[in-house]
Amino acid sequence: MKKVLVFLVVILTVLSFAKTKIQFWHAMGGWRIEVIQNMVNEFMKLNPDIEVEVQYVGSYEEILAKTVSAVQAGTPPHVVQLNEISTQKMVDSGVIVPVQDLVDKDPSFDVGLFLPQVLNYYKVGGKLYSMPWNSSTPLLYYNKNLFKEVGLDPNNPPRTYSELIEACRKLVKKDEKGNVIRTGITWCLYSWFFEEYMALQNQPLVDNNNGRTAKATKVVFNNQAGLNFMNLWNTLRKEGLMINTKRADWTAARQLFISQTVGMLISSTSDVALLMTESAKQGFELGTAFLPVPDGTPRGGVIIGGGSLWIIKQKNQAEVDAAWKLVKYLAEPGPQIVWHQATGYFPIRVDAIQKLQAEGYYKENPHHLTAILQLLTSVQNYNTNGAIIGAFPEVRDAIETAVEKMISGTLTPKQALDEAEKNANKAIKEYF
Amino acid sequence: MGDRHIYGGARVRRKLLPYLLLMPTYVIIVLFIYLPAYDSFYSSFFKVSVFGNRRIFVGIQNYLSLFTDKDYLASVRFTLIYTLSTVVISIFLSFFIALLLDQKVPGSRIYRTLVFAPYAVSHAVAGALWGFLLNPVVGHVNYLTRIFFGIQTQWLTTRPFAAYSLIFASIWKTLPFNIIFYLAALQGISSEVIEASIIDGTNSWTRVWKIIFPLVSPITFYLVIMSIISSTFQSFAIIDVMTKGGPGGYTTNMIYKLFMDGFRFQKTGLAAAENVILFFVMIIITVFYFVYGQKRVHYQ
Repeated sequence: MKKVLVFLVVILTVLSFAKTKIQFWHAMGGWRIEVIQNMVNEFMKLNPDIEVEVQYVGSYEEILAKTVSAVQAGTPPHVVQLNEISTQKMVDSGVIVPVQDLVDKDPSFDVGLFLPQVLNYYKVGGKLYSMPWNSSTPLLYYNKNLFKEVGLDPNNPPRTYSELIEACRKLVKKDEKGNVIRTGITWCLYSWFFEEYMALQNQPLVDNNNGRTAKATKVVFNNQAGLNFMNLWNTLRKEGLMINTKRADWTAARQLFISQTVGMLISSTSDVALLMTESAKQGFELGTAFLPVPDGTPRGGVIIGGGSLWIIKQKNQAEVDAAWKLVKYLAEPGPQIVWHQATGYFPIRVDAIQKLQAEGYYKENPHHLTAILQLLTSVQNYNTNGAIIGAFPEVRDAIETAVEKMISGTLTPKQALDEAEKNANKAIKEYF
Repeated sequence: MGDRHIYGGARVRRKLLPYLLLMPTYVIIVLFIYLPAYDSFYSSFFKVSVFGNRRIFVGIQNYLSLFTDKDYLASVRFTLIYTLSTVVISIFLSFFIALLLDQKVPGSRIYRTLVFAPYAVSHAVAGALWGFLLNPVVGHVNYLTRIFFGIQTQWLTTRPFAAYSLIFASIWKTLPFNIIFYLAALQGISSEVIEASIIDGTNSWTRVWKIIFPLVSPITFYLVIMSIISSTFQSFAIIDVMTKGGPGGYTTNMIYKLFMDGFRFQKTGLAAAENVILFFVMIIITVFYFVYGQKRVHYQ
């Protein structure tokens, strides 16, 4: 009897000292793998009873696909980083622990310190489902040296579509044979820019207030606002003022800008840090500005893009608690500032921004400031909170396919919108 | 209890032994091929939610919607065009290159090694390689065409060049495999046959088409089947890396469509149905191979 007791005591002590092991899957490649690993190492130092296995799993799409199979196999990861458009899908999935439930139980965590612009995207029906984490918006980057060279004012970047087209025309440079060797602008072929341009004109993408008061039943982008952006894209292409990339080829778009083949780039604010270093290497001065709007249209706002952290349901409650600790830590001001400075993704908390402001960080880093100001000056309503759609990947595919057909000359901008609308609505109807 | 019993046990054991030895293979085949195949058939009659926790029986609805879907039919058409052109060009080209490599010229070993190099490259790497070469801005192909002809082409993002680029890269990739087989076959043809034909006064054109080509027909047949399989089923990586099925779904073939529906849009039921269709395509090719292959092809 005594022996059994001793044995039990030993087992219990071992168990109580045993580390809780959790998995964290993220989609941030390149130098960011190390940044994240270091942040997690800090976390483990503070929480010696938790062991976090960090894995860079690939793109957001791959994380989602792998999470689906891991959940079905009964070995779900604990914390996964997914992109913003997976929100409705995950809410419907029934495999997650809503972050709101954990926030409500944890008095040490004040969600009121988060930027409402960020929080509003991830709240569905007033409930926060995932922890906002890496948030970004699109930004206009331009090459100040090229602006000077062609007689444009480097301190007065284009604000409207007509100014943008005018600047592009000036930036075009041809060799003696008449081949275009430099042109105006690029952005990668990605539906996100279309969505942003709807919000920038203060228009929704789908019905039912962007799917936020009831589930979206159809898209509502086939109108003047949608046409404005498609027309711009088509005009730039027809006149050879823009170089189009493959679908979602962010790297190609950046390369074109870094190699000074184009004078302007619309890309994510998460590229700020990278473009600052690369432009310095190439010896040109980087400029950043708000996205130009169609002439005469009042400015709406930009939508938060990027990703958030989801906690997946587990059999063992201790693992959920550990996952919550990690997620909470990654959203604290310290790690947020590290993340912001290393990448350009926003610090998603007011206190983090205040701290940086007080330290004079934004005086030395004006591009990070442009990014934040564009977000802070955005009108806040359903249109700029962003759409939530279960079939969002299919809707994006519908838009991108139509754009591809438009830029290869088979569809006019209006026809492209019609086709995108038809296919997107079909996907929304079929979503299950 | 005696000798007879021991003898009987040994007999049973000897009968069981082959099955026992095959057991590991069976287990693996059942686990990784038959069960998933069955699951695929089964799922194709359902509409499945993203995480697989909800499913509704929809009968043959998935198949019906596939065959009425313009995009799916377009992907079938592209599969046919892509497969046909890749296979035909690759077979003839590799036959001729093999004929050339079979010549006894100095340095033929070096040429052979150089020609075989693409085979050592994986599909994804080959795709990335051609992606770089065909890059409209920093690619070598456009650099050369600009210097010599003053033209610039968006190889991967416009019609019909995206398809041309893809077919070209696929041929480049499959060529060495075919050449190796043809070369082996050519070296297997006895020199007496060739010499006899020379004495009979055939010209080289007749010799190639009337004598050599029929003699290597078993290899041609095998290579056609293999090329069909590889360009239908293994083209995923090269498409994903080079064109992502674009522009506007123009270079999406059946296997890429299956990937998009199954793993990008999480429509498990629909993807399973596409899988079953591909399974039947595969069955037809295999049956054709066994039936036609035995009868018509000339074996020495």
